[in-house]
Amino acid sequence: MYNYLISGLPVSSEIELPGAIATAGQTEDSAVSIRYASVAAALDDAAVSGEIARGPTWEMAGETFLLRVPRVARFLITAGREIALELEPDSTARDAAGFVLGTAFGILLHQRGAMVLHGAAAAKDGRAMAICGVSGAGKSTLAAALCREGYSFVTDDICVIGLNAAREPVVWPDGRQLKLWAQSIKRLDLGERRGEAVRDSFEKYYVTPCGNAVDRPRLSAIYVLREARPPFQEGLERLTLPDALRRLDYEAYRPGLRAKIGQRPEMLSYAATVLGHAKVFMLSRPRGFEHLPETVAALNAHWDALG
Amino acid sequence: MGAAVARQSSAAIVWLASFPKSGNTWFRIFLANLAAGESGPADINNLDERGGIASSRQEFEAVTMLDSGLLSHDDIDNLRPRVYQAMAADESGQRWIKVHDAYTQTPDGEPLLGQDVARAAVYLVRDPRDVAVSLSCHNSTSIDDAIQLMNAADGALCGSRKGFATQLRQKLLGWSGHVTSWLDQRDVPVHLVRYEDLQLSPAACFGAAVGFAGRAATLGEIERAIQHADFAALQRQEIAKGFGERVSRTAPFFRAGRSGGWAEELSAEQAHAIEQCHGAVMSRLGYQF
Repeated sequence: MYNYLISGLPVSSEIELPGAIATAGQTEDSAVSIRYASVAAALDDAAVSGEIARGPTWEMAGETFLLRVPRVARFLITAGREIALELEPDSTARDAAGFVLGTAFGILLHQRGAMVLHGAAAAKDGRAMAICGVSGAGKSTLAAALCREGYSFVTDDICVIGLNAAREPVVWPDGRQLKLWAQSIKRLDLGERRGEAVRDSFEKYYVTPCGNAVDRPRLSAIYVLREARPPFQEGLERLTLPDALRRLDYEAYRPGLRAKIGQRPEMLSYAATVLGHAKVFMLSRPRGFEHLPETVAALNAHWDALG
Repeated sequence: MGAAVARQSSAAIVWLASFPKSGNTWFRIFLANLAAGESGPADINNLDERGGIASSRQEFEAVTMLDSGLLSHDDIDNLRPRVYQAMAADESGQRWIKVHDAYTQTPDGEPLLGQDVARAAVYLVRDPRDVAVSLSCHNSTSIDDAIQLMNAADGALCGSRKGFATQLRQKLLGWSGHVTSWLDQRDVPVHLVRYEDLQLSPAACFGAAVGFAGRAATLGEIERAIQHADFAALQRQEIAKGFGERVSRTAPFFRAGRSGGWAEELSAEQAHAIEQCHGAVMSRLGYQF
């Protein structure tokens, strides 16, 4: 049995999860259990409560969510507490691990009513910035580049915003490794920090970022990455509170999922609390590795001025 | 190529298909202006046609909930028919979706774009010699590189696995393979439009295409949309405000738009390389060489 702390939750797992924060085993205290089990290809109408909603790769009823990843595994995610998985023939635990830490855990966090953004996060001077944006926007690459400039790595793909005792927003670390494509690793000169491939025959790898690990830094800003191309001019633009609230919704991890699972009524006041401390900016910058140093410099200067 | 009107179908999706640089964007801007009506001309950076592109990674992930970066190209292709079925089921109106994929089967053996998902396809084709010039400018590559992509039967867009492409892989099958894959398939009624004919007789050609897909529009509405999508007007908008879909850092997107310009820009060898590879399909489409 493996034991981890993922997005602030003690997790006991029968499957090894590369990059997750390993802890000394205290299985009985685990909030989440990940185990091998027989998982049917479809939900059983008689066994679940409520109507079954269906998508091409998933079925959902109440607090039960079935996820089918072709040629990898089937996952049954229940009540924010358990992920049961059955590997497909010829698949491996390593193939499944990326999906456990990604979509399956994202669904589980939504079931728990957490505020989950699709983004990376890095921290400096005890303050964290979340970096959001669509898939392929360059979130992980920018986080890795910031870590080369003295920032600490907090999270890669799933960014859970919690509140500390003073009711300030904090970012829960989700692991100790980034997932980067071979091209990014080469351009950022991180070859020596490269770990295993996320899946066999994939040129995407686990990478240990530069900088120290940090626990639950305060969230000061959310930057939403987008390409500077018409109509968007290069630069940073702060969002007004109503726009920032909408943006928080939009940048949720799989926002459609939250709508399907149902949003708890207290989430709006939670979001308002977060935005009372964290500012939201649109960061429009040119794409391409050749522009990365200037983006990092501009972001760093902005971050320092933000105080 | 089908009759004047596609078979009756309740499907919401219309594929707007073409090899790259064959007039797809021009057609989408026409559609946006048709939708804008009297409030046009539509802003080229804010096209209200919401159709998107079939190879959208974002839409794939939103529908499947999966991280596409952890899936192989083939596994993604096997899921794509289900994604389009889900999109079509969610659609109440008509949705024109841009496609640069050739019409292919998935590794599991079903149409990549799904069965009974689309009511029709409008397939745009352009003289491959003009495509080569436009493609090289668009991608900031040499004309020879553009010809290589057009002549490669296994050519694809976004097919690399070393870095993260913003779109899903799109198999092109070379220029001839692309054309015949669409024109010879029998799953979706397809209406062929030649870029050159759009320029010569825009009202008739645009009108026939939207009519085929079951989009009602009067001649006056079509003529107004054509006027707002006029090439000179688009160039003026690009000069004034830029264009978000431009790839090249130097060449404008709306460059010349004229037909036959290849004669001044291709060497005899380059033209010959295209004609030799694609002569049969060029003849089929009425392109002389």
